[in-house]
Amino acid sequence: MQWWVEPFLLGFQQRALLGGLLAALMASVVGVWLVLRGMSFFGDAFVHGVLPGIALAVVLDLNVYLGAAVAAVVMVAGIHYVHRATLLKEDTGIGLLFVGMLALGVVIISRSSSYTGSLTSILFGDALGVTATDLRWQAGVVVVVLVASVLLYRPFLSLSFSATKASSLGMRPGLAHALLLVLIAVAVIGSFRTVGTLLVFGLLVGPAATAALVSRTIPQMFVVSMVVGALSVWLGLVVSYHLQTAASATMALVPIVLFFVILPVTRLRRRARARAVTA
Amino acid sequence: MHAPGQATDLVLRYDGHLAVDRSSLELPAGQVTAIIGPNGSGKSTLLHALAGLHEVAAGRLEVLGTSAARAQSQIAYVVQHVAVPEGVPITVREVVAMGRYPTLGWWRRPRREDRERVRAALAALEIEDLAARHLGELSGGQRQRVYVAQALAQDHVAIFLDEPLTGLDMVSARAIDRIIHSEHEAGHSVVLTTHDLEEARAADQVVLMAGRVVAWGRPEEVLTPAHLTSAYGLGALHGDAQGPFLDDPHAHDPARDDGISPGAPAG
Repeated sequence: MQWWVEPFLLGFQQRALLGGLLAALMASVVGVWLVLRGMSFFGDAFVHGVLPGIALAVVLDLNVYLGAAVAAVVMVAGIHYVHRATLLKEDTGIGLLFVGMLALGVVIISRSSSYTGSLTSILFGDALGVTATDLRWQAGVVVVVLVASVLLYRPFLSLSFSATKASSLGMRPGLAHALLLVLIAVAVIGSFRTVGTLLVFGLLVGPAATAALVSRTIPQMFVVSMVVGALSVWLGLVVSYHLQTAASATMALVPIVLFFVILPVTRLRRRARARAVTA
Repeated sequence: MHAPGQATDLVLRYDGHLAVDRSSLELPAGQVTAIIGPNGSGKSTLLHALAGLHEVAAGRLEVLGTSAARAQSQIAYVVQHVAVPEGVPITVREVVAMGRYPTLGWWRRPRREDRERVRAALAALEIEDLAARHLGELSGGQRQRVYVAQALAQDHVAIFLDEPLTGLDMVSARAIDRIIHSEHEAGHSVVLTTHDLEEARAADQVVLMAGRVVAWGRPEEVLTPAHLTSAYGLGALHGDAQGPFLDDPHAHDPARDDGISPGAPAG
């Protein structure tokens, strides 16, 4: 028992756990929509795309959340522009902006006097440096994400099913898509302080993908995703404490490992079910 | 009752290219209308425009006595192709329940009446036993029945179906054919696209397309050798004047397609 409790005896450790749990909650809920909509690559690019905004805010001593939000808008506008102005598919624009924004972020932060420290903190987060103010802010973002996911369930689900069908059902897929982008941005900005821009993607896609393997319905997928997300944070912090590894990276690694552990089990179960039906 | 489609000098573009050139037509209310033509003839684009999903480039288009966009809430539309990602746990019941979304909007809670409509739609397409299954686990024919059930669950006065019978197994084709007839009997307007000359002959009205409306009216007036040759080109038409048939490589014979469910018994 001591092995499980020991990593959370001190105040900063408890704040790391709380911050991680809040980040996991919002990321795992938004992640379900990312997986359902088939936007994982976009999500990956998006979390890196906010880097120059944060880097600029760090260098100029401005609000990092505002910097991240501005960078998110630039990222989406850039992808949209490439897609509209050329005959190239959307993933080309995503790839271009992904690398471009990441590189720009590193270039900007390299002008900082504490280049290595700042870059590491942005990319990999600082779970053990989470403050009470960060937690309050994160809690507010979690409420926004959860309420929005419930209220926008129908437009998001019909959009994930088919944009054409969503339009014929009067679900306004264009607006729903824009709101989904905002929600992704909110979740990324609300999580990066704890897990970092590079690793927040692990909490976005890992729990949702794992949940897709074992869930029978979409509401069930949300619940499983949140449980996997929370479990990843808790287990990640425990493991990182005992093995002396980076906290945020360990947290991000857990849901990915869980996915690859559960995947063969679900495949075996599906084969057994198919055999039972044909027997 | 208003006509499900009335066009005057209608022009439709698709990705910047001309899809339907200046065409006029009127689809009568409460009847089954088949839109037929070769691949790329503009039949799906026309159906999309009627469903309010495609912008009119020029001319006038009225649907159910108003603009296509305004009529959208009264039309149940069965899309031709839905690429549902494999492994997504979306159940058949959830997909059919989407048919209630236009009535419920973004937030309103479903009532007993809504749940009853979903149950009735599942029963009408004989897919009640599939309600808890994932969409990705179904055969093409079963999926098509789900999409038609979704349309049936919707409040509507007209139903538009984009190639509803193409490539289906016999059971699914019969189930959907029965729904088309029951919709007709209920006084709803039915508009469908097809590659199949026999399907078009069985309709009350036919629209023959070839980048424009070649002819529209009763099947015997439209599906003449002269019109068909004009739409499909020389060499595509075989048989005699009483019963011409098409040598259309895009047409499918439902009986030849394998519509067996992955989990169904093989023997």
